[in-house]
Amino acid sequence: MPQILPDFSNSVKLKYVKLGYQYLVNHILYLLLVPIMVAILIEVLRLGPYEILNLWKSLHFDLVQILCSSFLIIFIATVYFMSKPRHVYLVDYACYKPPVTCRVPFATFMEHSRLILKNNPKSVEFQMRILERSGLGEETCLPPAIHYIPPTPTMEAARGEAELVIFSAMDSLLQKTGLKPKDIDILIVNCSLFSPTPSLSAMLINQYKLRSNIKSFNLSGMGCSAGLISIDLARDLLQVHPNSNAVVVSTEIITPNYYQGNERAMLLPNCLFRMGGAAILLSNRRRNRSRAKYRLVHVVRTHKGADDKAYRCVFEEEDKEGKVGISLSKDLMAIAGEALKSNITTIGPLVLPASEQLLFLMTLIGRKIFNPKWKPYIPDFKQAFEHFCIHAGGRAVIDELQKNLQLSAEHVEASRMTLHRFGNTSSSSLWYEMSYIEEKGRMKKGDRVWQIAFGSGFKCNSAVWKCNKTIKTTTDNPWSDCIDRYPVHIPEIVKL
Amino acid sequence: MTSEMITYICKRTVVSTKPAQAGKCNPLSVFDRLMEKNHIRIVYYFPSTRNGEPGVVTKKLRESLSHVLTCFPIVTGRLQKKDDGHWMIKCNDAGVRMVEARAQGSVEEWLKNVNRDKELMLVTWEDMFHKPYFWATFYVQLTEFEEGGLAIGFSCSHLLADPTSATMFVKAWADTTLAGTMLAPPFFHPLPPPRLGNKNPNHNPYTDLINHYKSTIDDRSPAFTNNITNYVTATLAFSGPMVQACMLDTSRPSPFEAMAGLLWVCVSKVKGMKQGLISMSICLDMRKQLGLDKGFFGNCLVYNKVHHAESLLDKSELSEAARAVGESVTKMNNERIMDLIEWLEHHDYEFPPLMNGHDLICANLEDLDPYATLFEEGFVPIRVSYYVEPVFGIGQILVLQSPPSEGPLSRMVMVTLPADELSKLCDDDLILRFNPTILMG
Repeated sequence: MPQILPDFSNSVKLKYVKLGYQYLVNHILYLLLVPIMVAILIEVLRLGPYEILNLWKSLHFDLVQILCSSFLIIFIATVYFMSKPRHVYLVDYACYKPPVTCRVPFATFMEHSRLILKNNPKSVEFQMRILERSGLGEETCLPPAIHYIPPTPTMEAARGEAELVIFSAMDSLLQKTGLKPKDIDILIVNCSLFSPTPSLSAMLINQYKLRSNIKSFNLSGMGCSAGLISIDLARDLLQVHPNSNAVVVSTEIITPNYYQGNERAMLLPNCLFRMGGAAILLSNRRRNRSRAKYRLVHVVRTHKGADDKAYRCVFEEEDKEGKVGISLSKDLMAIAGEALKSNITTIGPLVLPASEQLLFLMTLIGRKIFNPKWKPYIPDFKQAFEHFCIHAGGRAVIDELQKNLQLSAEHVEASRMTLHRFGNTSSSSLWYEMSYIEEKGRMKKGDRVWQIAFGSGFKCNSAVWKCNKTIKTTTDNPWSDCIDRYPVHIPEIVKL
Repeated sequence: MTSEMITYICKRTVVSTKPAQAGKCNPLSVFDRLMEKNHIRIVYYFPSTRNGEPGVVTKKLRESLSHVLTCFPIVTGRLQKKDDGHWMIKCNDAGVRMVEARAQGSVEEWLKNVNRDKELMLVTWEDMFHKPYFWATFYVQLTEFEEGGLAIGFSCSHLLADPTSATMFVKAWADTTLAGTMLAPPFFHPLPPPRLGNKNPNHNPYTDLINHYKSTIDDRSPAFTNNITNYVTATLAFSGPMVQACMLDTSRPSPFEAMAGLLWVCVSKVKGMKQGLISMSICLDMRKQLGLDKGFFGNCLVYNKVHHAESLLDKSELSEAARAVGESVTKMNNERIMDLIEWLEHHDYEFPPLMNGHDLICANLEDLDPYATLFEEGFVPIRVSYYVEPVFGIGQILVLQSPPSEGPLSRMVMVTLPADELSKLCDDDLILRFNPTILMG
């Protein structure tokens, strides 16, 4: 989808024209206001103070009128301030760092694959090709149960992994924020593929002895974009409950979902999904305003499930041998592109500066009235955001979004490096990416961050955060021991 | 009965904590390549520790193994053939296989009733796959005894390590578990290169050593296809004073020569030799002779045939045997080994030989120091057993160190012979003169 303007954008003159246009349209109000104020000032100076006093006396106000007007003003002001949505602050978040002993190098993964799929060399070959092109590194981690030959994905092992990941992330969050477990008012846990009874949120309540009147929710089955759905839910709840803390835990438990059959479309998740989790503290308390890292500005959710193809594109089902796995359809990328377009159409007017919106509107009108052959204008989102966190679903997803949104390599660096170091950790990958940007020292006060996630259904969800204070680098985060090695160059194909 | 005593819990792969440098390859030396058909198995027995919980020790050891593997990229690599057809290790980080098991009873009880077959159950091993690139070359088995104690079974392909290197690896693992650092880091470098220039034109390479290797390589006899012999292993412990007495009898200054001589005579007798001795080769570690660091990781064992004078009076057969062994040992010096290396570099062979396939092999493993392997402060191994498999031909004798509580001169000898011959050996008069304690067999 290329630009509609003729391609002499290389010309320097055009660049300045563009800059001038943007400045003009984005600051139109100020530009119009300044001459008006100057005119009024000149008029006032011309009239002189006595004239103004006479003007004032000629307006007869009696007491009733003054009282009514003041009450009206106070009433309108109160209604305005009461109905303003409460600001939701992200105080801090913690990502889970898997132990080094859970590391899975490519060679080990392939050997295990070979030993388990002894009778299907073609499937092993397929997995090898996927792994070579996946963009993953040699330090991604799988849970202990998957290291066994053959893997033992029992419920006990799944619970063990859940406890390990969630409790570590939670402990880290409590330590970072100084939050006491008794102060948690809302708890939301999302984990798509593992949903035991009692739920994972109950597991947390049991472990940390949370209050009995806590509002807890457990979202399952909602795919990789469930993290942002949980944030949306937390935000809505924080509008209803004043002065509250909400903890959101996003994770994906790999153990029960290791596909042990040999259907190719279902082997793909085995190669990409890795262990990870994140715990986030959101709050609407005023005292957190100064120490919060971010403020939540918008959450936009788009669901394409009404379309059959979109609905079936990520589908959990049994293969011919009765083994359950998640099948990814071939038109996944195309559907993701469609969902993204929908999401952008909604989020664009909320975040884009006036200059871009005007251009888009003009092109739309032009296409409708003058010439339908004009290519649609893709707004430049780089003007609306400083940082992008694209869900590290796979190399293809990041490539596709980079192309569609015309992002530079530096904008997608956080996503690519997270994919390399941690693999596809599903809903928590957005938080690893945020952490990367922070640890690189790039997050300054006032920066706007756009988090985009895709998930089964097919959903595309976005969240927009505004940085509240410049964030200093720390040592208690998952990137602390390797941030200096990044960014690395990730070759197209890694020879195994 | 034995299969009920040990329950296997799981098998997994342990990898290093830091990724290996991509694309690194290590070629194997000439000594390495000769040992393709063999593998080593070592069993360490540790007494009960304070940690009563089952599985805690295993977890700790698994984590420290991950840490130590970072310094041994060869151990986690895989075999691949170079363009010239020779083996090399591709350091691809694939890891070592680990098996966890649990056994009934305590370590002490087990040691009272153990035999070769039972002991080998404590060490897991898989023969080379058809596609060696996916075959793990190192295996570890951790067996926790329910009533106390731990057995660590370590096995590896002889292509990559000899008993000295294997012991060094386990010691490095123990050091890492105990203190977090290794006391003797490993060295991975090739054997010394051939000397250039200044060669004496009249220099006569020591043809005996080379001939021995040549005949072993050319030997395609059915010795190693005929595998129906039932070999049994016995562990004989000779106390310090007894070893000293043997040394005095044979008037040899080294315990190895005395022990080797003694066993040579006794094994010849049980094999039915009325006069003279059966053919024997000794196997020695040549690190010192080649000027290599003790941390040299790889094969450095050289085999040499022992020649003895025929027709002697019976009484001094023992001293003659020991003398012959001593002579063979002295003959293995730097110059001759370098000649051997040169010869091996220039002579390719189609099929790898079986170095221990024909003669009686007597290997000197006295200096390995396995009892310094401490995983926990103050817990010295009760016993360490070595096996070089597979055993073919006449048999095998390994002369090992004894636990330090027995004294510096005491020795443990592991003898592997066909079952009937071994029982005769243990009843032999000459052996019984030195009063060995039969620990196993």
